[in-house]
Amino acid sequence: MFKRTLLGALSACGMTLALALPAAAQDAYVVGLTGALTGPPSSTYAPAVDALRIYIDRVNGAGGVNGHKIKLILEDDSAQPSKAAANTKKLITQDKAILVVNASLSSTYAPIMQETKNAGVPLLFASGVCPKSVYPPADPLQFCTTGYAANYDSQAALDFIKATAKGDIKIGFSAMAIPLSRGEIDHAESLAKTMGMTPVDKEVIPPPTADYTPFATKLKNAAPNWVYSWAPWVTQVRTLEALRKLGWTGDMIAWAHLESEAELARLKDENFYVIGANALFQDGLPIHKDIEAAAKAAGSKYPATMMTEGWIGGMAIEAALKSAGWPADAAKVRTALENLKLDTKGLRGGVIEWNKTNHFRTRVDYRVYKWSGGKITRVQDWKTYTVK
Amino acid sequence: MFRSTPRASGYYRTGYGQDLALIQTRTERISLAILVTLAIALPFIAGPFLLDLACQVFLASIGALSLMLLTGYAGQISLGHAGLIAAGAFTTGILAREIAAPFWITLPASALTGILLGLIFGLPSLRLRGLYLAVSTLALHFIVIYLGGEYETKRGFSTGILIDPPSLAGFKLTDGRAWYFVLLLAAAASLMICINLLRSSSGRAWRAVHARETVAEALGINVAGYKLLVFVISSSMTSVAGCLFAYYRGFVSIEAFDLFLSIQYVAMIIIGGMGSLLGALLGAAFVTLFPYLIESLLALLPNIQKFAGDIFAVNYTAFGVVMILFLVFEPLGLVGIWRRLQNYFLLWPFKYRPLTGARK
Amino acid sequence: MQLFINIIVLASIYALIACGYVLIYRVSRVLNLAHGELMMLGAYLVLATASLFAGHPLVALGAAVLLSIVVGAMVYVFLMRKMTGEMVLAAILTTVALGILIRGVIVLVWSAQQQYPAQALNLANPSLTLVGDGHISLWSAVLVATNILVYGALFGFLRFGRWGMRMRAAGQNPLLAAQRGINLHTVYALAWGLSTLTGALAGILMALDSGVTGSMPIIALKAFPAALVGGLDSLAGGLVGALIIATAEVLLIYYVDPLLSDVVPFLVLLAMLIVRPWGLFGTREELDRV
Repeated sequence: MFKRTLLGALSACGMTLALALPAAAQDAYVVGLTGALTGPPSSTYAPAVDALRIYIDRVNGAGGVNGHKIKLILEDDSAQPSKAAANTKKLITQDKAILVVNASLSSTYAPIMQETKNAGVPLLFASGVCPKSVYPPADPLQFCTTGYAANYDSQAALDFIKATAKGDIKIGFSAMAIPLSRGEIDHAESLAKTMGMTPVDKEVIPPPTADYTPFATKLKNAAPNWVYSWAPWVTQVRTLEALRKLGWTGDMIAWAHLESEAELARLKDENFYVIGANALFQDGLPIHKDIEAAAKAAGSKYPATMMTEGWIGGMAIEAALKSAGWPADAAKVRTALENLKLDTKGLRGGVIEWNKTNHFRTRVDYRVYKWSGGKITRVQDWKTYTVK
Repeated sequence: MFRSTPRASGYYRTGYGQDLALIQTRTERISLAILVTLAIALPFIAGPFLLDLACQVFLASIGALSLMLLTGYAGQISLGHAGLIAAGAFTTGILAREIAAPFWITLPASALTGILLGLIFGLPSLRLRGLYLAVSTLALHFIVIYLGGEYETKRGFSTGILIDPPSLAGFKLTDGRAWYFVLLLAAAASLMICINLLRSSSGRAWRAVHARETVAEALGINVAGYKLLVFVISSSMTSVAGCLFAYYRGFVSIEAFDLFLSIQYVAMIIIGGMGSLLGALLGAAFVTLFPYLIESLLALLPNIQKFAGDIFAVNYTAFGVVMILFLVFEPLGLVGIWRRLQNYFLLWPFKYRPLTGARK
Repeated sequence: MQLFINIIVLASIYALIACGYVLIYRVSRVLNLAHGELMMLGAYLVLATASLFAGHPLVALGAAVLLSIVVGAMVYVFLMRKMTGEMVLAAILTTVALGILIRGVIVLVWSAQQQYPAQALNLANPSLTLVGDGHISLWSAVLVATNILVYGALFGFLRFGRWGMRMRAAGQNPLLAAQRGINLHTVYALAWGLSTLTGALAGILMALDSGVTGSMPIIALKAFPAALVGGLDSLAGGLVGALIIATAEVLLIYYVDPLLSDVVPFLVLLAMLIVRPWGLFGTREELDRV
């Protein structure tokens, strides 16, 4: 009985002690990150966050920025909005972060935007989809380095279909039943109509689905010769697999998420295209070798091929802090971000360039890959779209 | 405050008025005064992050109290608590977004939604018991979430509905301290409502229904009516908590109200201690603060940066482990620890309580 | 034809998961909300055994299945045994906590990314063509067969097996059963082991078909209505319930709106609860108190 009482008293003491600990003195750039590191959607975000961490560690190992280290504070939100809100508040108020990074599901965006807006701290989306508020005219506080973004992606994918397909295009769509993916596929559907394609079917598939075949059956029976999907990787690839299982032989194009490089090799499907803004490791650029070495040295659990998004996020943070100087505060970092011009060393088709009204990028470039002849091959080199 | 038995020696009640008083002894008066002073002083000494935690605890307390009323006292299990919070939050979000309604409209509207949903959630309870009732409320939760998701998608709020802070006569409620007091008041009001409900005939009726329905009915208690009543009251309180949540966080989205939230509320009342309002409060504080506690304790370990990739999985695991430990080793909940502590000091220098008049 | 196959496959998935809920509930009246996580653990165990027995996929699968029985029994011996006699709700919450624990451990050991046990075992997943131009993938077919086998074996075991009879007795009246010399703890541990076994089989076969991530437990939650519609303490009920839910889901996806598939199981469940709360084949229960 006394032991139990002691247990209770101890936990109470521990709680007060741990919560009351003051933040350490500031001799480094404090960057806070909230991301989906556990929980179901973490398979997309945890590798990116790991990459970002490895990148920042490397910068610190090389002496930091402007002679000061970057203190990257990670918080896990499990893609839960309430947790993300609390994390952001903590990062800003207790850790005094001068920049908040989001690497999580779109469900966390609303609370994080709200908290950073209240505090006037810049917010960088790295590896989560770019919200519309970074497009021109951009919200002054929000920036995005992520490769995928609503509207432009579908435009590029549909253009590719139009250029590749022969004859009439009967197109089917597949989305995950989350608002973001649904919205984009709705957009793509209306876009396809204006481009002279015939949308035949649209499947919106709930995230926890035991078997995709019922959805694929309906899609297949609508007899599309192309299928386009813009959703988390699971939905895209399982739609394809279910369609193939049913004997469908048409072409499919989907977004090249971080997983795509390993997955193309697993699927070995010659009629499956992935479109993306990142150069795959197949291209073998010097920077790719660099990332591979760094991932290996850090002993990461994730393959290097999943690290591109996090790496670019890290590059953007480093560049912004460099031009913000020392000592930096939230306002300085914001100004630095607004004038950022980031050379991605070939990871992207062009520079990431931000200005007063555009916090997305001035141009988006897309490459298309597929599996062909025993390896991943590039089907279409950088195709540029100007962001207006 | 939570029990009717006298607790100090030498204290006897001599009139009905004394019997009704909420605060009976000097010790209670003093400790209450200290508590109130501390609660008022906290925002002036604590940092904004601690304030945010306190606000979260207050919000959780309202939900936990209403669930305690429903489950701990009236014996009706519900797994649809998150659905009710979502209903309140969405009522607020939709009204604020569509017709720019101020908070003095959205708040009663949320309560009204809660009452309606309480009737609907409560109907199965007339026929179902225990586990089956829990599952039917779970089903209703999924339906509320489905409707919310449809609204979000159809109106194009794909990343959630943003809500402006409530304002009254030009004063905008954005400051952390102001929110602290608002939520503190709301939580205190909920506590008072619960205490008074439980002291009145409805409270006695609920306990009777909980103990045995047949006997309650034989005693002349309108079982169906009281079951519906507890659902209605608990749901409207929960919905109001949802409304406050929406304003406090400034957003509403379906992802914030998943099944895990319902489970967290159930965890609050069980870890806190069933059948005790104090337990609901303790449980709310514990479940809300615990993840942060583990995080900050783990951060104290040396060389933690090396394991940065794994630390959150460890956090998550530790949460499960501690919950299991609590359930296995402390079935009475936090309130059990509290009572033992209390008894320890009350009985000192003796060790054991005499058997007569022993509480269960 | 394809619709019919889809219904059968989905029903088999749900049924195989549902019988795990039923086994434990029938014997000990505890609802195991960690079933989904235990199922996922089974799928991940294949990854572990695959690297241990490289080149022998069948041995690896067998080892994973055996391990999952041990895990299930251990869950009872070290955890749920302590919860006997506590509130039902507390026992349920313990299983929830166990689920959280398992999920954390899985991320810790296998990381959060999507994994493909079939790839690790070097197994292919060809599509089979059936009569009437119906298609089914190899592992889905195996799942259907396994489901039939599992249910057949369980029926036989519970009806004629010595331990099966003991399990039924313990479920009907634990006190009388104990007085007749049945070791309740062994019976309960057996129930947990078997339940985890069937769950793990479902998890493994689903993972072989389409890979595994942390979102797998949610599928088990969707199978839960199947168990309830059929009656939580009836094995046949699990089968019929799964069939009803799967039929409703597949047909609604095809003819009405795919979005409904998420709510359908719960709508069916709600209808069932209003009409016949204890399920199609379940037994009426005594008052359940918190």
